[in-house]
Amino acid sequence: MLTRAMLSALLLTTLGGAEVRFNRDIRPIMAETCFRCHGPDKSSRMAGMRLDIRDEALKPTARGTVPIVPGDPDKSGIIQRIFAPGARVMPPPYAHKELTEKQKATIRQWVAEGAKYEGHWAYQSVLRPAVPVGANPIDYFIRERLAREGMPPSPEADRRTLIRRVSLDLTGIPPTSEEVAAFLKDASPNAYEKVVDRLMASPRYAEQQAMHWLDDVRYADTCGFHGDNAFPAWPYRDYVLHAFRDNKPFDEFTREQLAGDLIPNATREQKVASAFNRLNRTSAEGGLQPKEYLAKYGADRVRTVSAVWLGSTLGCAECHDHKFDPFTSRDFYSMKAFFADIKETGLVPDRGANAWGSLLPLPSPEQDAKLKALQRQLETARAQLAEKMSSLEPARAAWEKQLLARYEAGELAWKNQRPLTAKSANGAVLTIHNDDELNFTSYDGGDLSAFRAKADGLVIASGPNPDNETYTVTFRPGEGTWRELGIELVQDESLPGIRLARGADRAVISELELDSGGRPVPFRSGMANVSNQAPEHLPVAAFDGDPKTGWAVNTYNEVPRVMLALRMKEPLRTQAGDVLTVRIRQDSDYRRATIGRFRIALSSGEYAWPNPEKGKEIPDAVRKALNVPEDQRTEAQKKAVEAHYQWANDDAWAEVDRVARLELAEALLEQQIPRVVVSESVEPRETRILPRGNFLDDTGDVVAPAIPAFLGKLDTPGRATRLDLANWLISPANPLTARVYANRLWRQFFGTGISKVLDDVGSQGEWPTHPELLDWMAAEFMHPEYQPAGTHPWDMKHLVRTIVTSATYRQASLPLPSDEKDPENRLLARQNRYRVDAEVVRDIALSVSGLIVEKFGGPSAKPYQPDGYLATLNFPKREYSASHGEDLYRRGVYTFWQRSFLHPSLLTFDAPTREECTVNRVNSNTPLQALVLLNDPIYVEAARVFAARILQHGGSIDWAFERAVSRPPTPEERRILTGLRDRTLTRFQRDPSAAQQLIGEGEAPVSHAFPPEELASMTTVARAILNMHETITRN
Amino acid sequence: MKPSPEIDIRRRSFLRQGASGLGLLALNSLMARAQGITTSHGVVNPLHFPAKARRVIFLYQAGGPSHLETFDWKPKLAEMHGKPMPPSFTKGQQIAQLQGRPLICYGPQLKFQRFGKCGAEICEHFPNIGGIADEICILRSMWTEQINHDPAHTVMNTGSIIAGRPSMGSWVFYGLGAETENLPGFVVLLSQGTGGQMQPIASRQWSAGILPSKFQGVKMNSAGDPVLYIRNPRGVNDAIQKDSIDSINALNEAEYKTLQDPEILTRVSQYEMAFRMQASVPDLMDMSKEPASVLERYGAHPGDGSFASNCLLARRLAERGVRFIQLYHRDWDHHAKVKSGVEYKAREVDRPTAALIGDLKERGMLDDTIVIWGGEFGRTPMSQGGDGRDHHIKGFSFMVAGGGFKRGLTYGTTDELGYAAEENPMSVHDFHATMLYLLGIDHKRLVKKYQGLDVRLTGVTGDVVKDILA
Repeated sequence: MLTRAMLSALLLTTLGGAEVRFNRDIRPIMAETCFRCHGPDKSSRMAGMRLDIRDEALKPTARGTVPIVPGDPDKSGIIQRIFAPGARVMPPPYAHKELTEKQKATIRQWVAEGAKYEGHWAYQSVLRPAVPVGANPIDYFIRERLAREGMPPSPEADRRTLIRRVSLDLTGIPPTSEEVAAFLKDASPNAYEKVVDRLMASPRYAEQQAMHWLDDVRYADTCGFHGDNAFPAWPYRDYVLHAFRDNKPFDEFTREQLAGDLIPNATREQKVASAFNRLNRTSAEGGLQPKEYLAKYGADRVRTVSAVWLGSTLGCAECHDHKFDPFTSRDFYSMKAFFADIKETGLVPDRGANAWGSLLPLPSPEQDAKLKALQRQLETARAQLAEKMSSLEPARAAWEKQLLARYEAGELAWKNQRPLTAKSANGAVLTIHNDDELNFTSYDGGDLSAFRAKADGLVIASGPNPDNETYTVTFRPGEGTWRELGIELVQDESLPGIRLARGADRAVISELELDSGGRPVPFRSGMANVSNQAPEHLPVAAFDGDPKTGWAVNTYNEVPRVMLALRMKEPLRTQAGDVLTVRIRQDSDYRRATIGRFRIALSSGEYAWPNPEKGKEIPDAVRKALNVPEDQRTEAQKKAVEAHYQWANDDAWAEVDRVARLELAEALLEQQIPRVVVSESVEPRETRILPRGNFLDDTGDVVAPAIPAFLGKLDTPGRATRLDLANWLISPANPLTARVYANRLWRQFFGTGISKVLDDVGSQGEWPTHPELLDWMAAEFMHPEYQPAGTHPWDMKHLVRTIVTSATYRQASLPLPSDEKDPENRLLARQNRYRVDAEVVRDIALSVSGLIVEKFGGPSAKPYQPDGYLATLNFPKREYSASHGEDLYRRGVYTFWQRSFLHPSLLTFDAPTREECTVNRVNSNTPLQALVLLNDPIYVEAARVFAARILQHGGSIDWAFERAVSRPPTPEERRILTGLRDRTLTRFQRDPSAAQQLIGEGEAPVSHAFPPEELASMTTVARAILNMHETITRN
Repeated sequence: MKPSPEIDIRRRSFLRQGASGLGLLALNSLMARAQGITTSHGVVNPLHFPAKARRVIFLYQAGGPSHLETFDWKPKLAEMHGKPMPPSFTKGQQIAQLQGRPLICYGPQLKFQRFGKCGAEICEHFPNIGGIADEICILRSMWTEQINHDPAHTVMNTGSIIAGRPSMGSWVFYGLGAETENLPGFVVLLSQGTGGQMQPIASRQWSAGILPSKFQGVKMNSAGDPVLYIRNPRGVNDAIQKDSIDSINALNEAEYKTLQDPEILTRVSQYEMAFRMQASVPDLMDMSKEPASVLERYGAHPGDGSFASNCLLARRLAERGVRFIQLYHRDWDHHAKVKSGVEYKAREVDRPTAALIGDLKERGMLDDTIVIWGGEFGRTPMSQGGDGRDHHIKGFSFMVAGGGFKRGLTYGTTDELGYAAEENPMSVHDFHATMLYLLGIDHKRLVKKYQGLDVRLTGVTGDVVKDILA
């Protein structure tokens, strides 16, 4: 039985013309069966025979065999061998590449006809084929071929199908019922073109186009290797959005991405575009060999540029000359050399001041002004503090003595409190462990230890885990005078947020409050002992009265016992029976950044350093320095003492506080200013050919930047740059870019490229089904001639418009009798049907239900995601924290792209992880997809919000059905859905609490306009509609 | 994009005749009965070779277990302890965190003992594995090419450092299909270990890469939903769920009547399978019917997510027809305290590993199940920080059992200091080729065209190591 692929191959090779042609008929066979051993790679060439170049194939080999004698198959070595019986047959049996009888006959006929070679189609200059005037040339080429095969094209699709198809293809959003109705009613001859114009003018068009481009350029929000931490890339995504919205010419688009930073007087936008070169995966794993990773980063860039612009697999030449195409290993490294000027390190830090290498801050003018003003204030405040400190300098010697004396007398000691009560506001269960023994775990510098110890006033949160919490703890400190309140965060391996918090990647205290006798006790300064205190989480944020700011321990704290200490404005006196109340407010935007285990402590001492370990109430470094006579202290010791003195004296606190508040304000503003990784050009690193790709081998030649040799040579005065490369990519001298782009675009609108293998137009790729059409499209892309008014060279929108207004595109997709002959529909006697892309699956549910929030650009959004999905990530150990409000309902293109753990719903619908450039997504159909659409909370929420809208439309199932698939249901479909509604209504009436649960899914407001049972049963109807194959299919 | 490239013609044509999802179940049981050792449900059908094994359980010890404290006894290294590592061993070689540091020999930190009739030398902290020494085959001459965790995992799992290549589980599932329609064909389980050396593991390690995503590994979790989105929405009971799926399928079948698009019927069958998964996963996870003696044997406490519980779960998955089961057990990255670290790991993995192999044997499943034990690389014979070992790629050990491997064999050697594989070096690709061979697959012929290349698990190298086959 013939498979579809075989049928298709037969169709493509045998239909249309008797003369054998090298490119169409012979090259695909030879590429598959001969070139591995008799092709371009000299290291694997057998018997000295090369068959991909005619001159070589006509030469006798060392043994005297002449591979090909034009016109005389019987004398030709290859013909003798492919027809040879037994072990002499070629290809050899061990290769498992048997030729069919038909293939053998074709090769024989080709030799008999003179063995005419043709240059590989993709490497020939683009010549615009002649087309008849008037009609859309796409239709001319498609119909001419169909006519040759005796296959009539399909009529235009009905208008409902057509508007849904073109809306999904151009914008990723299905049409509304009103848009469908308007199109049905519009009798004007250009009704369809008006729809196309409307769709292409929408920002949604840019979002849809960006989705495809972002796959190509491996755009993501995390660095991909090891800890896979978030890196600032989204402004680049916005650059891409703007480029498609504004129809930026593709040549400019190319230049800016590869070399925006090198364009003279580069604009901010052009610099942002150069982030393209920095989107490769990077690693911050300790112990990596920088040279090895620089080699990896460079190779990634070669693969990406080669796939996206050249449709070629130059990456295959990293270790050896290409086996099938004329790319050499030297070409690979010469291409890599173009990028050797990009400033980078092998280990790309993922934290701290040098994180991610070259970054470009992108403040708005207002932010810029505000930042400058803040910085001026800060300068003044720091000067005032310095002045104050120098005025206090004479008192320092006495302070040092006193501090040491108090420390040694134990006056600084922290006194852990024994809570009387501990209550939560939102449901977490707090248990007090005062004197019992408990199991503890502690992670310290790579070692995890488990031990039992006295609980000593430990409070543990368990049970319900709300996003925000306030813990209220009371305790009786006894008689005393207190100056500091401390809170110790106690780690436990079971806590997913850096071992401290019940979620998120940090523990955040937005406000810490202390009441005595019903009156608040104010604080005047704060200090914490974390190792990497993020400036936007300074301790002052825990008592600044702003619930949106907070003190936090976030990523990479390396201190095992963390403590925050707040200094009271006035000493607090308590009598024996007095009860104090501490409120730990945890209201930050990070979900569940709530503390899992903690202790409360008081100190009556003068400035006890926050460290719960006994004897550490002065930092070790300071204590050591204090014991060294002043004139013998090192610079570091002097600094440590000065810093401590600044914090720990009673006279400078107002100045200290002012600086702290301004620093917090500056950090919060800085945090709002977008940043993006960019290319920064420095003296180029030496690039050598690495023999067999081995980065340890320094014996290879040093190479200069160059384009693949067989495609020509750049004529530049000095060392060629990325800008030279970009200019060549979009020059007429390069035959590939326009063809490759047009081919990818074709796939967006027909499901398959004109040449199916989008990432390889080389000899292992596929001979285009319509080579002249592809050439015409490439020519038209570079220089529009068809309906050229208002177009420009390299006009992306023009090419899209030309495709979607063609009759070929507008055909019905209904099955045809000729499908038997052309089972993959490569000749396009009809349109194709296929499932929409992962992001669009989401967008359809959101828009049909009305949940969608359309906001163009901006930081990536984090939709709901199952707990524990990131459990095997580390550095830091973390939990996902979903966005709030509108950002839960953004389009799929804005989803935070975590490379090592892409959002599971997107991944399930075949979105690529973008660890590598991906120009050809697969499209699968799996049970896990069913589980996503049935059970992922966002789809359930969409269903119940959709259900409320259906009920607002009088409960019309017809309305709902049409809303989703742009057509009314058939009587059978209506019956199925009414039946489901009626049966589930009965069930929910019997179990009203189930109805309440279902209609309460998600964070969108619950409609109270309808009885819960009705809303719930309609939710099952809405859910069925959102799950239909047709709903996620473009027909 | 678009129409699914892997078209199961048999099923499609069958369904087209039946035009109903009901035909599917009958077909499956028919196919199941016809299943022999020479045929499969995947793209390799008939098999390239008669298969010895039909499934794989890979006990993946992530982080890089020290071969020198597990399976590779090096008395000479003990003698050299504290002395400089001879430069002849290390010159020009890749080094990770020890770059630029003095290289000092660090003798084996744990004692070894001979076990079984075969007299295999195994670290004495693994007495249970020692107890089945005559069932297992120790490979002492493995080597790999990537020295950092993430790329080394990727090489071990996909045979390539380039992201996007299919993992070995996906290849096997793709090649052979599954023997169950109720569970995924490739299941991944993870356990944390309790020593703190928790290197991250990316989902790339079980990705289907360039193969259709139905072949990706499905991670099962001990906490939360065992499979993502396997639970009905809140307020939806099984009856409503079934009614909903039936209605969805009825709607899809109605569409099929008009369009005759086989993709629609595939969708119908996927919804059926989703429903069966929802029904069968709770049964799979429910270990309440396992006798106490079995729990005791593995040291399993169902629900605790431990390696022991996962080993027991692996057996249950194998019994239910899952093709490839991969257990990741983390925490082997002993840059420091390798002695106590390996002792700790031994307590976690020794008993369950031996229990699994023994249990499979008693159930008659060991003969056709390949059990693999090993990690992404080994550790240096040189010390790091005085009590640890750095990453090491030139020589390390694997342990395999069942599925057509020789029993009671110790194969290959490293040099006298345990640095480089010396006798019968075995690359990751050789290992892949051998595993596939036992499954009836020629590694050179299990290929997928991508970017013009015949992509395969073994790249362009790899030989079947016949010496270790029974």
